[in-house]
Amino acid sequence: MKKTTNHKLHFDYGRVFQNTKSFIDLHNSRQTKLTQKLNANHRATAELIVRLYLKQLNKAAQLDQLDTKSLPGFNTYNESLAKCKGCTKRTIINHRERLVNARFIIKENHCGQGGVEIWLNPEVLGMAKLSTTCGDNVMKIGEVASLFYEKAKNFHHLVHEQQEQENNNSNVGKSVTTEKDHDQEYGVLPHRRDHKSGKATGTGHEQDKNTEENANPASKQQEQLPENQLKVEKQEQVAAGVGRIFLLSLIRQLWAYVRKVLYPDLIFSDPEECEILNLIWESVYGKLQWNASEKEWLNYQETAYSRINMVARWLARSPGHWIPKPHIYFHPNNERNGFKKTWQWYVKQETLKIEIRNQLLLQQAKAEWQQHGQNKEWFRQKTRLQLFRIQQKRLANFRDESLMQAYEQCLQRCLQLQNLKRKQSAHAQ
Amino acid sequence: MLSERMQREALSKCIVWFYDGNVRTFYSLDKTHKRAKPNQALGIRRLEKMLLETFKGQWETAIVYENKPHGNELAKFKKGARV
Repeated sequence: MKKTTNHKLHFDYGRVFQNTKSFIDLHNSRQTKLTQKLNANHRATAELIVRLYLKQLNKAAQLDQLDTKSLPGFNTYNESLAKCKGCTKRTIINHRERLVNARFIIKENHCGQGGVEIWLNPEVLGMAKLSTTCGDNVMKIGEVASLFYEKAKNFHHLVHEQQEQENNNSNVGKSVTTEKDHDQEYGVLPHRRDHKSGKATGTGHEQDKNTEENANPASKQQEQLPENQLKVEKQEQVAAGVGRIFLLSLIRQLWAYVRKVLYPDLIFSDPEECEILNLIWESVYGKLQWNASEKEWLNYQETAYSRINMVARWLARSPGHWIPKPHIYFHPNNERNGFKKTWQWYVKQETLKIEIRNQLLLQQAKAEWQQHGQNKEWFRQKTRLQLFRIQQKRLANFRDESLMQAYEQCLQRCLQLQNLKRKQSAHAQ
Repeated sequence: MLSERMQREALSKCIVWFYDGNVRTFYSLDKTHKRAKPNQALGIRRLEKMLLETFKGQWETAIVYENKPHGNELAKFKKGARV
């Protein structure tokens, strides 16, 4: 962060490095593809660039006055960076490309023999402008959903963690698993459950090859439980977390809705429906792996419904719009025209909503300050501090940090304007 | 023509009544590759594609059943449309 001492700029290495780290972490958390993330090597290159750039800037600041709005770029050579890092020139070029894609580097100027000039993102240097939408909107919209969609292969830790080798096929130290445990582990639908339990290398769940029934008598008994016992089981599960039956019913409800809204003309047989339900379980509900509360799941269900409505509206908008059949549409690997893509639409829509709400709130606050300045309405009896407290309390209810930041900025502007007006009137007199 | 073993292992079959009076039975191919887990839905989709594309306009009725004795009816087609 910059500090002004004797009118000279000085960049604190620690703060800028922290900004760099948080910037890269945020970027990685938003990317789903491994090829778009920044790994430890890119991080090292970014830090090298930051370190050398700050050195250059601090030196320049001692010699000359620097304008914070138009800082000079970082002059460097690929070869010198490669030498510093101990890698090839090509690696540095590749890393720079990745950093440009991540918006860590905002501009590059190639000067031939004069090397390269690089401008870093002002957020990294601690000079970012504040907007009402900064922060992670995905997290604001729904935690359950954000967990599903930011799922990508994690990078290895720099330090290797010694882990005990687990043998899944071993029976040692394990009691024979009951079907309930098995189901909770996979969270599968009934159709899939049969296949899972029929794995060739399973523990105690070998399928009888002729009858295709489960060889484990305990699980067979479980399947034929009377309704009362099933209810008890459900209550137990609800007590432990959210019941599996409840979650599976959510999936069935979603499919029923999708069928009604998006595929009213198609007819499906039972095996086809089972397959589609399994695909929805995997792609839309993330295999029900997240241990969320019932309320959070219901919220997520609402978002899923609204996404389907968005698709229906999109389809109605033009005859050229189409969606593939459900087994393709809900396939977890379908990146091209799958249901997954609607998540981006949804985020965009919700972000826009939040932004509009914030702008309206700020407009209201601004109008109140203006009216307070003119001694109008009920503000007449309030002091400036009281008005500030009222507004702060009102805005704090939304629990939005970016809104509070924008409010502070707006407040500063309002107060500056008021001061200016007073000065002008005093000067005129 | 499928081998007898494949006919036996198929999860569904389709009986087609052609306009020329022929009646033929087709068996589903339920695997994406030799060692894959059989997927009945895939087999049904393939039979449907066969009916609606390969034998388009040549049959009057087609019914897909489970491939076992007294198997349930899974899908029914009449004059080029699923009913």
